[in-house]
Amino acid sequence: MDLNQSMRLLSSWIAQIGVLGLDLLWRFIHLVVSLCYIVSGIIEAVESYAISLGLNKKYSSINIEKLRCLAVVVDIEEARDVSKVIELLQWLRTIGVKQVGLFDSQGLLKKSKDLILGTVPGSVLSEEIGEKDSSPDQNPLALEFISSSDNKEAVMKAANILLQDHLKSSRPENDKGENFFTETHLNEALRVVGENVHAPDLLLVYGPIRSHLGFPAWRLRYTEIVHMGSLNYMRYGSLLKAIHKFTGVHQNYGT
Amino acid sequence: MNTQEEVGEFTQIFNALMSLMRKFIFKVLCAGPIPNHVSFIMDGNRRFAKKHNLTGLDAGHRAGFISVTYVLQYCKEIGIPYVTLYAFGVDNFKRQPEEVECVMDLMLEKVEYTINQAVSGNLKGVRVFFVGDLTSLNERLRVAAQRLMEVTEENKDLMVVVCVAYSTSHEIVHAVRESCVRKCDGTGDDPVVLQVSDVEECMYTSVVPDPDLVIRTGGGDRLSNFMTWQTSRSLLHSTATLWPELGLWHLVWAILKFQRMQDYLEKKKKLD
Repeated sequence: MDLNQSMRLLSSWIAQIGVLGLDLLWRFIHLVVSLCYIVSGIIEAVESYAISLGLNKKYSSINIEKLRCLAVVVDIEEARDVSKVIELLQWLRTIGVKQVGLFDSQGLLKKSKDLILGTVPGSVLSEEIGEKDSSPDQNPLALEFISSSDNKEAVMKAANILLQDHLKSSRPENDKGENFFTETHLNEALRVVGENVHAPDLLLVYGPIRSHLGFPAWRLRYTEIVHMGSLNYMRYGSLLKAIHKFTGVHQNYGT
Repeated sequence: MNTQEEVGEFTQIFNALMSLMRKFIFKVLCAGPIPNHVSFIMDGNRRFAKKHNLTGLDAGHRAGFISVTYVLQYCKEIGIPYVTLYAFGVDNFKRQPEEVECVMDLMLEKVEYTINQAVSGNLKGVRVFFVGDLTSLNERLRVAAQRLMEVTEENKDLMVVVCVAYSTSHEIVHAVRESCVRKCDGTGDDPVVLQVSDVEECMYTSVVPDPDLVIRTGGGDRLSNFMTWQTSRSLLHSTATLWPELGLWHLVWAILKFQRMQDYLEKKKKLD
């Protein structure tokens, strides 16, 4: 083996050792990060139990009137356990929340709609609110079931309605549709296809990460998005804390 | 050697050491997956100005621009190919007219500065794109933005998309309108029906893939009408740090969070 070959081999070994070293360092950093998350998780759990037990007076009263509409996003794996969703809804009802939108991307909660409505006392479909005698309860919990089909697909349905109307209308040549395709028109078309266009004030995400997971984009403009962790480990105190924090938020909506 | 020269030399050595340390940190970070596209909601400029008693309507935004240059440099060094900056929203036009004018003037000043940097060859592989309802900008700014896009067209290392006069609701309406007009103008006997792809092609942000990571500064927990259509599978990271105070470690922390969740995010993308 000549000198050049030896040098090349040596460089290759050094490079491989370097890569291995960086990889080990990266794994070590992630181990430290995971430990930080574990510690912060323990602190949050303790705080949550303290709130549940009423030890923290700050959370004893919440201005729930500020929360007109709450949405809950559930990761698809966790949405399979409907009992947890039911328990969450019961907690929300206890807190005084009046309107909840339940979202999971594949519509599993939509399929369990009847079970949920039958099990959560005082719950009604939000479409049925306002109908006479729809609920004997004075303070019903209005539920809305949402999935990915209410996101991009719904906007496409609405857009196609506008498109068909535009095709049928007598429009000038080189018309760019500026008076025909507006936010108001799209809102109206979404209502025609049966979609709710109201934006929730607060979105609670139950899942591994803080992501809205495809909640209808048209409704998400200034919604506060809070990550609550896994539904399997949900805590009443954390829920109270999230809602309390929301009631203290002041938004300027871009102005 | 006098004191000033000594200080100058010390500063140079210090900067060189910092740069070396930063490159080492990024090398370690790059042992794991790096987000392909990071978006920034740059909130907190006005609060920064108030916190530090800075005078002038644009004082906080000037500080914000300095932060932009550092963040873009870090993203380029890490090797992130796409970065989106939420610079000015449609709803921001509702602010006081003097403030809006001040911000527009500042944007023009910075765009012209960046054009000079690009022409001098100092932009080093950075391509700039302006997206949003650019027709609502004044003509000078619009022309300058167009010029900057042309001057950086050939650069390929980092694509920086600057969202100006942008909001998702505006973007969706614009995309629906554009795609409908195209369909109406189309020829042939095919049924005139819009698909998701038709609309997404016409979106302002169609020049970039969907973001993997959205970083919002200023403590807000909302997207403020920014890319809500494109962020179904994005990790949303919020920090209480004000935008002008965002530093290296905040970016590193956000990327570490992304790396922790990478398997889950990939699984979600495959389900789509």
